[in-house]
Amino acid sequence: MDMIGIAIKITILIAYAIIGTCTGLLFMGIGRKIVARVHNRVGPPFYQNFIDVAKLLSKKTNISHGWIFDLALLFSISGILLTLLFLPIGGVQLLSTDGDAFLVLYLLAIPSLGFALGAGASGNPNAGVGVMRALVMMLSYELPFVITLIALMIYYDTTSLATIVRMQSINGIKSWAITMPPFMIAAFAADMALQGMLMEQPFDIPVAPHEIASGPMVEFGGKYLGSLMLYKAIALVAETTLFVDLFLGGGVVAHGNFAFVINFIVWLALIFLLFALSILIAASFPRFRIEQAFGFYWKYEAIIAAISLIWVYIMVIK
Amino acid sequence: MLDIIFAELVVAAIITFFVREKLAAIIAFFISLLPLLALLDWASNYGFAIINLGIENHMKIYLAGVTLHLAITPLSWFFALMILPLFPVIMLYSYSFFKENDGFFALMLLSLFATFGILLSRDMLSLFLFWEMMSWSSFLLVYRSKDKNAIMSYLIFSVFAAFAILFGIIILWHENSSLLLSDILNISGKLGFVAIASIITGFAVKAVIMPLHAWAPFVYSKCDEPFVAFLSGGLSKLGYYGIFLFLFSLKGVDILQNYMTNVSWNYLLAVFGALSAFFATLIAILQDDLRKLLAYSSIGQLGYIAIGFGIGTPLAITGALFQAFNHAFFKAILFLAAGIVAYRTGKWKISELGGLAYKMPFTFMATLFAIFALAAIPITSGFASKWLLYEAAIQQKYVFIAPIMLIAGVGAFLYSFRILYGVFLGENRHDSVEEAPKSMIAALFILVLPLIIFVVFPGYMLDLMKPALQAAGIESIAHTKFAIETSLAKYNSIAVLITLMVAMIPAFVIYKARKHRVTSFEDNYLAGEPYELHKPAMHAANNYYKPLKKVLLPYLEPGATYYFEKIYNGIKCVSNAVRRIYTGYVQDYAIYVVLFLLFVMGWLIWI
Amino acid sequence: MVIHPVLLIAIPLITAFIIPIFKKYGAAIAGGAIAFNMGYAIGIFFHVYSNGKIYETIAGFNPPIGIFLAIDSLSALLALIINLFAFINFVAIGKEANYKFSMLYLLAIAGSTGIVITGDIFNMFVFFEITAVASYALIAGKKDKKALEGAIKYMVLGSIASSFILIGIALIYSQLKTLNIYDIAARIASMDAKIKWASFAMLLTGIGVEAEIFPLNGWVPSAYQGASEGVASLLSFAPSKAAIYAIARLMLVIFPFHATYEIALWVGVITLLIGELAAFMQEDVKRMLAYSSIGQMGMILIAFSLASQDLKYALIASLFLIVSHAASKSSLFLLSKSEKMHGMASKYAGIVSVLSLIGMPPLAGFWGKWYLMLAAMDEKLWLVIILIFFAGIVETAYFARYLHRSIGNDGELSLRYKATMAAMASFAILFGLLPLVYKIASLPLWGG
Repeated sequence: MDMIGIAIKITILIAYAIIGTCTGLLFMGIGRKIVARVHNRVGPPFYQNFIDVAKLLSKKTNISHGWIFDLALLFSISGILLTLLFLPIGGVQLLSTDGDAFLVLYLLAIPSLGFALGAGASGNPNAGVGVMRALVMMLSYELPFVITLIALMIYYDTTSLATIVRMQSINGIKSWAITMPPFMIAAFAADMALQGMLMEQPFDIPVAPHEIASGPMVEFGGKYLGSLMLYKAIALVAETTLFVDLFLGGGVVAHGNFAFVINFIVWLALIFLLFALSILIAASFPRFRIEQAFGFYWKYEAIIAAISLIWVYIMVIK
Repeated sequence: MLDIIFAELVVAAIITFFVREKLAAIIAFFISLLPLLALLDWASNYGFAIINLGIENHMKIYLAGVTLHLAITPLSWFFALMILPLFPVIMLYSYSFFKENDGFFALMLLSLFATFGILLSRDMLSLFLFWEMMSWSSFLLVYRSKDKNAIMSYLIFSVFAAFAILFGIIILWHENSSLLLSDILNISGKLGFVAIASIITGFAVKAVIMPLHAWAPFVYSKCDEPFVAFLSGGLSKLGYYGIFLFLFSLKGVDILQNYMTNVSWNYLLAVFGALSAFFATLIAILQDDLRKLLAYSSIGQLGYIAIGFGIGTPLAITGALFQAFNHAFFKAILFLAAGIVAYRTGKWKISELGGLAYKMPFTFMATLFAIFALAAIPITSGFASKWLLYEAAIQQKYVFIAPIMLIAGVGAFLYSFRILYGVFLGENRHDSVEEAPKSMIAALFILVLPLIIFVVFPGYMLDLMKPALQAAGIESIAHTKFAIETSLAKYNSIAVLITLMVAMIPAFVIYKARKHRVTSFEDNYLAGEPYELHKPAMHAANNYYKPLKKVLLPYLEPGATYYFEKIYNGIKCVSNAVRRIYTGYVQDYAIYVVLFLLFVMGWLIWI
Repeated sequence: MVIHPVLLIAIPLITAFIIPIFKKYGAAIAGGAIAFNMGYAIGIFFHVYSNGKIYETIAGFNPPIGIFLAIDSLSALLALIINLFAFINFVAIGKEANYKFSMLYLLAIAGSTGIVITGDIFNMFVFFEITAVASYALIAGKKDKKALEGAIKYMVLGSIASSFILIGIALIYSQLKTLNIYDIAARIASMDAKIKWASFAMLLTGIGVEAEIFPLNGWVPSAYQGASEGVASLLSFAPSKAAIYAIARLMLVIFPFHATYEIALWVGVITLLIGELAAFMQEDVKRMLAYSSIGQMGMILIAFSLASQDLKYALIASLFLIVSHAASKSSLFLLSKSEKMHGMASKYAGIVSVLSLIGMPPLAGFWGKWYLMLAAMDEKLWLVIILIFFAGIVETAYFARYLHRSIGNDGELSLRYKATMAAMASFAILFGLLPLVYKIASLPLWGG
């Protein structure tokens, strides 16, 4: 690759990083608005989160608890940006040819682990409890999620997200995974897992507003809290994009010269729909206790996912 | 050269037994470097090319009337590369770990002797002989723990393993009328199947594949940490060396498969590996004893190697060997770090520790790195090996094993964080604790090196194992320096690392944009009140995964140990019954004599 | 070098009768005699090792009329083992020995040595009697209730045994009119079948009592438990080894038939299993070691029975097992004097002995098990192999428990005592490393 190619690629990557961040913050604002409307409140303006982040990042008093605490900031932002860039977004592959779905799964762990380290280093027992809940929640939702992931992988005989997206975009919407019966089931299971990933109700016990002094981020303030909000915004985009890439063809509907604009819009719409769905579910369900959530995922969800996996397996070996 | 090394090891073992502890450590350190030099020498003489060592090139040892054949092969070279570096590191670490010399160094050198012997053996007798030497030299190290469960379970399982291997070996000897490994196994049918299965079972004991793992939690949690680092890092790999040798180098796979073509025996190994990985991980999450946690974590991580061998494709075997290599290093770091923690605080229970990270930053950093490798975070080489295994499972469409592996990988995060949080973060309860002695820190960071080198250059690792794979007729998978490519996807390590570094820039900008001040958390948390007033809970380490425990525990009990104990008790009952034969009355004994006479006469005359 | 194997018997016998005259120096004289015997046994061993078999006729008559001593590799090794360990053992316990003890000790040694070097079956009987009577007295010598109990049990069974041996010999003599073992062997085919089998049964039963074969070994636990440590150690390497040698002679030379092989094999297997299982739950250390000895004798019997089938590895196996058992058990019996293994030497002795018994290389016990397996594999005795493995694991279990229980530093053993223990255990290493046993087992036997 020549220098110009690299420069273009780097520019695209930076652009997508910024787009991802802004989209995430925007969605969060809209999400707050939606929840407020469901609760019959007016709610904050949709750009409220931009203001919040800007305020937090520019605060002059920042309290740290040592260098391990600072790792939370560094790892959460860099890790989640890294994850985002390894996903195909709206048909643009970014770095997704250099890695695959497994890599994305493990890259997603970097910010969480950094975050958990910081929470642990803060020394507050509430943070410890919060991280414990987050980790158990992760163990819970990952089981149905990896089962559906494997169903997709053996069906398309690839683990690369780029390839999965490409194969789903051959015939536009008709070739999306979700159009096939086994993957409809799988998509349901994966969407439930997504709910847990986004830490929305009924699976929001790790952060559990109003319950355990805000959970893991209890000691975070100023730039630390701001960076965590950024992390959350980008994570929202990354996780919904992962779902879209897996089941909805990455939002690719058009091919051609300016197709990427259309695809980008479709992708944006799809992740917004997913997010809105999750917000609506969150607004209408009460919270699961941690062992209930675990049971839900490992019993019902896992069985649903397993059905789709077995179905796909039978299809494939025929 | 090899015979000199063997002789030096024995002599050094004897010398170190009698000198003071510091001197013993120094001697042991330098002597344990020798086998490594032999490896380098071999590599520089022959490169990485495969040479077929004829019988005349073997080094021979004459012992009690028999001849032992020894030679370095590509396979033993690769395994030596992952096991032998542990020894000098352990010696370095032990320099300050032991207060007095009570034979640790001598026994470690004997273990090294036996390890070297196992790796170099080119006939089954010497393999078995060195294997048994390894068993007893490690047993004597276990014996130092003075713990009943550890001593008994280790010895009994070792002897069981030895008998299983011996059983297989004598069948192979009888059918091939040769003990040399270079003679292709000329055996098939039921006998071949029994022989190979029995040998694999024997090696599986040391490779701690469930359900033959029952000894490991006892032994790992009671012995000296430097030794456990070797036990988990090195000795378990010898088990996998044996499995590789007999399954792939000697084509045991075909023997198994030809006996019963409709059953995939390989798959069975993979299933046992997957169950090890899964259950051991869940059990590890619930442990409170740091050593037990690491023990179960070892069982789980070693399970991945078994999965790789079980899947048996080039991709899977490459992944398994890579995983073996990584595990040798990161698990050694973790056990050694656990040893440091105990050395400084004298405590093993995670719930009694906490807040050591700021007191021992270097220990913490090494541990953190090892945990990244264990949890397969893509900034260490731990990821590449797991990734290869996942790819292999998907490639073969193993829909049962793949999710289990992945979820066990997620479970690893849970117990990893338990170590990080419970031991190093949270409330500091040990004000007077210092950083570990320099030699210990040095030992830890030497072990970190390979994990860093092979995350940047995963291709180099594949180059290193290429001769071993080729010797076994396994093709090497496509790779460049930085990237590994399979039929399913590609993993480019340098893309990940560079992007991460670039992504650090905005994070760093945010971090540096505003100043912060460091405050003790007590000020925040207690809001200025004195601690003595309410004595609130300061560290959430006690019974950490309580909700999970409540859900999981019913499914994890009673566990394999329970069944082994049942067998043990069964033998006890038989034993008690047998002892009743000896009534203590001499009249009865006289009757036995007469009955025996009649029985023998009856047998001979009338039958 | 003029070799007079008869000295091996004559010296201790004569010394034993001299000792009452010099009561005060009894132990010293006995020690000298045993030392001489050991040296002579070593000399004979290496003579046989390099030059082959030796025989000597006594009082000028040639066989089959005269008494005749025949030493082949098997006898030489056994004589070496008995006298070597007799000496080391005596170093450990000789200090406390009075003249009576020394005398009996010498008689037991003379008797055991006689059994292994004689070529005459009646002589063998006589030596059995000498050994047995000396052993009863040695066991009872501790003068407590348990010792007496053990001695009486041994005596009752021993007397029954001698009568059976005598009847067996009489049956053979009535048919063949000879007592020379090799003469009998040559003409065994001419015997009436029923009498042949009856005599074998009588001899096996009679000698089996001494050789601790199940179910003839009722005396073993009590006798070993009752006896003092030195005597228990003696019992484990002298009379029992001589007796198993006698059975080996029966099997290898006089009755090398398939039927006898099968009986000995299965009796050996059952003895092994019963011994190891009984030891498994035994809390008393000496009784445990006694049961363990029973098991080991069973294994040696298996090896000898396989050897009678002309399996080259079986004889090597049996010799290694004998060496290993003699070295380890005598050391462990001495060790049983103190509850714990304290000090380096006793730790070393205890651990090496146990490792040799459970078959760890490069100790002698390993080679025993290895060659036994090869031999059993040659015959494809699957069940036997599996049962030996099972017994091995049971053995490991109780020895592991034993090792754990004897960790500790309390107890009082003199340095000399500990040094001798360690010396005994060292022979398990020495014989495991040197090719002596392997080479000597490949030499041809008498009548073989």
